[in-house]
Amino acid sequence: MAIKKLAFIVDKLPYKAETSRLAFTHAIASQTVEIYLEDGDNVEPVIALVGDGVLNAVKDQKALDIYGVTSLEMHMKNALLLDLRVLVCKEDMDRLGLSEDNIVMDAEEIGGELTTQIVPFEEIMKEMETADHLLYF
Amino acid sequence: MADLKSSTPNETLDVLGRVCPYPLVLTKKKLEKMNSGEILKVITDAPASAEDSIPRFCEKQGYPIEVVKLEDKGYWEIYIQKS
Repeated sequence: MAIKKLAFIVDKLPYKAETSRLAFTHAIASQTVEIYLEDGDNVEPVIALVGDGVLNAVKDQKALDIYGVTSLEMHMKNALLLDLRVLVCKEDMDRLGLSEDNIVMDAEEIGGELTTQIVPFEEIMKEMETADHLLYF
Repeated sequence: MADLKSSTPNETLDVLGRVCPYPLVLTKKKLEKMNSGEILKVITDAPASAEDSIPRFCEKQGYPIEVVKLEDKGYWEIYIQKS
C-alpha cells in the first residue's frame, strides 16, 4: 500500500512537437491508474513548468487558428479542473518577462477549483527530490 | 440491492463530449464531495468510461452501480451510490 509521487517536468516549448502536450495528457491520465492497482496503492502527479516550458502556460493561445490543434492552455485548464497541481517556475517567468497576468492561473470557467502555483525553482527542486518517478518532457 | 435508476439522483454529472479519462476523474471528484448513501447520475458518451473505467472504479470502491445504455440517444446513464 503506497502512494507514488510522479513529477512531470516540462521544459519544452508548447507547439510544433507533441512533447509538452504528452506531459499534460499523461499526468491527467495518471489520475485514473488506481483502478488497475492494488487496494491502497495510488499515484500523486504534479506538473512543473520550467525553462522555456513556462511558455506552455501563456494565456490566449491561438493554437486552433495557427496550427489547427487544441491549445496547451486548454490542457492546463483541464489539469487544474482535475485537481492536478501545476507549478510554474518564478525565475523563468521573470526571465521571459511574464507576470501572473500573462499566464493561466485558474480554470474557473470550466469549474476548476485549483489554481496555478508560481514558485521559486527551489520548490520545484524539492518536488523532484521527493518524487518517486521523474518524467522529463 | 436497490434499483438505483428508479431513485431520484442527488447529483447529476453531465460529461457528454468528454473522452477518457475525464469522465472517470470528474466522477471521482464529484463523489468525493457527496455524502454516503447519496446517488450520482453520470451522463456520458465515452464507451470506455461507461463500460470499463467507471464500473471498475465503483467495484473497487464498493459503490453500487447501474449502467444504462440508451441506444437511441447514443449515450449512457450511470447511477452510482456512494457508500
